Amino acid sequence: MTRFPRPRLRAGALLAILAVSLAACGGQYPNSTFLHWSEFASDIDFLWDRLLLWGTIVFVLVEAVLIYTIFRFRARPGAAEPKQTHGNTTLEITWTVIPAIILVFIAIPTIRTVFKTQAKAPAGAIEVEVIGHQWWWEFRYPQYGVVTANELYLPAGRTASFALKTKDVLHSFWIPNFGGKRDLISNRTNYLWFTPNDTITAVASNGQCAEYCGDSHANMKFRVYVVKAADFESWAAHQKGEAVFGVAPVAAPAPAAAPGKAPARKGAASGEVALADTTPAAAPTGYVFPADKLPAHVIPQTPLPAGLALDDATLAKGNADSGKAIYSRSTCIGCHAISGNPMSMGIIGPNLTHLASRHTMAAGLYPNDAKHLSAWIKNARAMKPGSLMPTLGMEMWDPMMKMKVTTGGLTDAQIADVVAYLRALK
Amino acid sequence: MATMAAPVSGVHAESSSPSGIWSWLTTVDHKRIGILYLVSAMFFFVWGGLEALVIRLQLAGPNMGLVSADMYNQLFTMHGTTMVFLVVMPLSSAFFNFLIPLQIGARDVAFPRLNAFSYWVFLFGGLVITLPILFGLAPNGGWFGYAPLTTKAYATGYNIDYWVLGLQILGVASLAAAFNFITTIINMRAPGMHLMRMPIFTWMSFVVQFLVILAFPAITVALVFLMFDRFFGTNFYTIAAGADPLLWQHLFWIFGHPEVYILILPAFGLVSEVLPTFSKKPLFGYPVMVYSGMLIGFLGFGVWAHHMFSVGMGPVADSVFSLTTMLIAIPTGVKILNWISTMWGGNIRFTTSMLFGIALVGLFTIGGISGIMHSSAPADLQQTDSYFVVAHFHYVLFGGAVFGIMAGIYYYFPKMTGRMLDETLGKIHFWTFFIAMNLTFFPMHFAGLYGMPRRIYTYDAGQGWELFNKLSTAGVILQGVGMLVFLYNFIKSWRSGPVAGNNPWGAPTLEWALPSPVPDYNFAHIPTITSRYPLWDQKADELVKSEAETTVGGRLKTAKELGIPMPFPTIRPLIAALLMSTMLCSVLFIHAGNLPLAMTIGIGSFLGLAFTLVSWLTSPLE
Repeated sequence: MTRFPRPRLRAGALLAILAVSLAACGGQYPNSTFLHWSEFASDIDFLWDRLLLWGTIVFVLVEAVLIYTIFRFRARPGAAEPKQTHGNTTLEITWTVIPAIILVFIAIPTIRTVFKTQAKAPAGAIEVEVIGHQWWWEFRYPQYGVVTANELYLPAGRTASFALKTKDVLHSFWIPNFGGKRDLISNRTNYLWFTPNDTITAVASNGQCAEYCGDSHANMKFRVYVVKAADFESWAAHQKGEAVFGVAPVAAPAPAAAPGKAPARKGAASGEVALADTTPAAAPTGYVFPADKLPAHVIPQTPLPAGLALDDATLAKGNADSGKAIYSRSTCIGCHAISGNPMSMGIIGPNLTHLASRHTMAAGLYPNDAKHLSAWIKNARAMKPGSLMPTLGMEMWDPMMKMKVTTGGLTDAQIADVVAYLRALK
Repeated sequence: MATMAAPVSGVHAESSSPSGIWSWLTTVDHKRIGILYLVSAMFFFVWGGLEALVIRLQLAGPNMGLVSADMYNQLFTMHGTTMVFLVVMPLSSAFFNFLIPLQIGARDVAFPRLNAFSYWVFLFGGLVITLPILFGLAPNGGWFGYAPLTTKAYATGYNIDYWVLGLQILGVASLAAAFNFITTIINMRAPGMHLMRMPIFTWMSFVVQFLVILAFPAITVALVFLMFDRFFGTNFYTIAAGADPLLWQHLFWIFGHPEVYILILPAFGLVSEVLPTFSKKPLFGYPVMVYSGMLIGFLGFGVWAHHMFSVGMGPVADSVFSLTTMLIAIPTGVKILNWISTMWGGNIRFTTSMLFGIALVGLFTIGGISGIMHSSAPADLQQTDSYFVVAHFHYVLFGGAVFGIMAGIYYYFPKMTGRMLDETLGKIHFWTFFIAMNLTFFPMHFAGLYGMPRRIYTYDAGQGWELFNKLSTAGVILQGVGMLVFLYNFIKSWRSGPVAGNNPWGAPTLEWALPSPVPDYNFAHIPTITSRYPLWDQKADELVKSEAETTVGGRLKTAKELGIPMPFPTIRPLIAALLMSTMLCSVLFIHAGNLPLAMTIGIGSFLGLAFTLVSWLTSPLE
């Protein structure tokens, strides 16, 4: 009888050890739920450890008895007929009671954690309003007057209290490194809070939508930067302000800027739009998570569809001033807001005020650089299925409208200008 | 135990019943309907499996472009919908139909025509849901169809329409069948077949029928609301009109969680037949197995909101549903340990059926343990909607339901067809499935805990998920190989497998006293039952008449020769099912903006249905 079960048991034990050791190392698994980066994550992991412990004990016992049974009692030639037992009340009561006792050991910490994590957020928390959109994230900091998108800055050591809402369908707000998820429910406000560890100086983390929300559910990601309190204050102070670019306001509304009407491209070409001489000012910029400190897993590697991005030479010719003019009389302003550009007050798309201070674009899908930005303006829908952002490049195929963009499309030169403008919005 | 010597006596009765397409379209014989369910569900199994294969190929590596986002969303929606409603449920139905009358000593179900109607309704409902993927128009809202994503505001195409209509049609099939089986089990048991002598599969089926009756109305209400929203402009789920999306979630999961037990309990029942036979021991703790099945069914209605821990129900609701979910582990654990005790001390024969049965015990344990991990609400906040959950429910539904059904197919194939499945191919099938299953789903635990969300058509490189996804994809390919072996074995053995005889396994329950395949009248005379294991404990002549009385000229006597009245075959159930389906689907033309056509088809189908029903009710049964 001992011939068979032992190697199996050893394999089982090895598997368990492997499982635990895999769970222990975080580096290879950057989105791990086992990092104790907030007390919320730690509380959940404490529960998980209990569950894993009891689960492993039950697993090993049951499977060992099962394997032992089938080898010990396998039919042998000429064996006598087995004893016809019909049951054993004592045994059956025993294995009803033992799981019940184990469950008590799981239930008590569970309920304690439920009430602890769903209590009111501690006083002095930083409030963040999270608004889900198909398929991007809007973050508002009412205490700071900051509105941003897809990149969430949080101070280490201070509780962040999230009010979760959605503009359309259901979404779910999940940052695996910092704890569990909470759904965004239409016509409701949900709440979630956690306190990033005060030992953190600067970490970048991935967040993502965890409730299926349609075409680009997979592409609804965001970044989380937990930084020192002082750095956060610096970031927030700067983000609150108007776009550094375009200090002088536009004197008169550009012609043909009425939303819904095709922008007059020839206007731009002939330089009709009078703009103040606004060169990108070297205004003081606030803290931004240093690009050279970004870990690999927060740098998007999504392949860019071929033939979309402008070449470096075209991009280099981009003029921010004419870019602003083009932006300000194109469909852009129907959806996007740029504080400091009175033409741009849309609320459907992400706020672009400090776009260039973000490391990623399109909800964490692409790195935020001139190349990707130009491709995005040209044909966002080819880069992100179902995107509400229309295909704008002249002669581009719009995969949702199933047609080529003719009137109202932007030429490569115009796109380069707009990119130059957007890249200047530090 | 007076084991009834059951050699390859018994006559191979294949030729005594009529064949040909028409006989299958008009059949009201529960055994044939069972086979229809089995074959249809296997077809859908291959279909849903191919969908899974494409899903896994798309996820084999990061940023793959095999299918578009929309097609991927259709694929995962249809994979789930197909496997739940068109594979596991009808495979269970195949066994309900085939086995329940045989196990309780009845000549047919209570309502043979209604039974045929159930099958055809299921088939048409299944086609309404599955065929649109061929045109890229399949439902794409997930098998759970959360509002408001499935409302007209966010799903303008026809995709969700097919889902809403198809599921309602399928619900009719399930409900009609459930009432039929409950009536059959309550009223048509042979003399002496007390409830506590019923074979455990029939018991679990009995519990499942009540779950169907109580759970399906909830989803029907949810679907009717959605249908009215989509076609008639109501506002049950319209966000702009102030709807609360949790209405859908509660209704769906009040159905959805009992549905899990609707899927698993029949497999538990099958395994509870298989393990005793191949251990040569009675089921350990039969009464406790019955009660635990009932308790699982009962508690199954009190745990639905554990699917909703992340929606913010508040700490009290989260705690209550955590506790009820943990409670359900107790009767389930009892079942596992009683199965092991059934084998303990036995003479275990490792037939393919037994291997699948033993594997169910081992694999379901894993799924049960990960289930307990979800039951802890705060822990679930990290797990829900991640691949950890995908791993969990595939251990339960593949390692549990599908393995149990496979055990049942290998076990009952001889009774259904009169022939044995090839055991060598069977074992190849088992070991490929067993290895492939673990290779596919075990790594998903890690992917989930390392932050990979569900239902994503692609993922970025460098997230630490590549290895797990590669393993899962390899596993699915291996499953496909196993499935091919199984299908080959199934077809080949049905045609030319060795003749089985009445009781090839030495099994104890009543159905094995009958010839294989079973003649259309089942029992030449209704037996009197005095034991839970009649074939082990009773004498042969108490159960079946001697061969001299039931055969003539080397073949089984027909019902007519035995003087047994048989229900007439009739096409009416098929026509009624078809008209009911077209009546419901006529609303599709409302979506197309063609109200007159919708009215014409709808009213025409309704009148045809009414006429068919009158004809059905006024034509003689037998």
